[in-house]
Amino acid sequence: MPRNDSLEMGELTDTSYYILLSLVEAKHGYLIMKTIEDMTNQQFSIGPASMYTTIKKLLAAELITLFGESKDKKKTYVATEKGIQFLKKEIQRRKEMIKHAEDILGGL
Amino acid sequence: MKKKKYIMSGGTAFAEKEDLQKLSDYAKKGWLLDRFAFLGYTLKKGTPQDLQYSLDFQENADDEYFMLFQEAGWQHVCSAGHAMHIFSAPEGTKPIYSDVETVIDRYKREKHSVGKAALSILAVMVFLLLFDVMSLYGWFPEAVGTISDILLIISTVLLVFPGLPYFAYQRKLKKLGNI
Repeated sequence: MPRNDSLEMGELTDTSYYILLSLVEAKHGYLIMKTIEDMTNQQFSIGPASMYTTIKKLLAAELITLFGESKDKKKTYVATEKGIQFLKKEIQRRKEMIKHAEDILGGL
Repeated sequence: MKKKKYIMSGGTAFAEKEDLQKLSDYAKKGWLLDRFAFLGYTLKKGTPQDLQYSLDFQENADDEYFMLFQEAGWQHVCSAGHAMHIFSAPEGTKPIYSDVETVIDRYKREKHSVGKAALSILAVMVFLLLFDVMSLYGWFPEAVGTISDILLIISTVLLVFPGLPYFAYQRKLKKLGNI
């Protein structure tokens, strides 16, 4: 049996996480890439093939939606209410993961 | 002097890395990828340069797709069957795939696509086999059986082209822990 898609399991990959986070305000594809690089001090960058695939997946899961088209014909996207809720749940999940590690490693 | 050159492909399902490395080596010598050719690539003479090549499979590629690559520094070189796309970029440009999840998605798309082709050939073969048996029992003239036999041999050969890549993608996905 193929492994379930992480979105279906209610989790976000690092790529989806950062895309969703940068789409709290509407942006087009390349601006999403740039925003993420700036946000993470170039620590995290998304390749164009990964970006295209993930945008399509987020659209299909209705976590983001088409916002409009900019003057140079670039499609812009924005996170949906469902997307924001999903993101908040993911932040909580990641916070707990950090806490578990700190509980164990805290004394070191 | 010759301006064009043909090189063989190892089959993108089996030797993608090797193919792309070969293209990059040729670019250093001034032979730049021009387009896909039958079971290979056509190169054209140009200025020697350090280029890296990447291949992607995307059947629904639209303007947005090519624009994203362009803005990330990847130049579209050529496409085959509106699904296979090759891009080139100066060495040091970040890779087109940045996470394993989307690489898995890509192989799934390719597996699905060759699987569909293999299935349609198999469906034709079932009918041919049926004709063959029916002519054996005298329900069809003998000639129908003979023609079915010939077509069966041809379709078996044709089946190799999507069939082997199907198993190659299956193996790649297994390696990535997805099956």
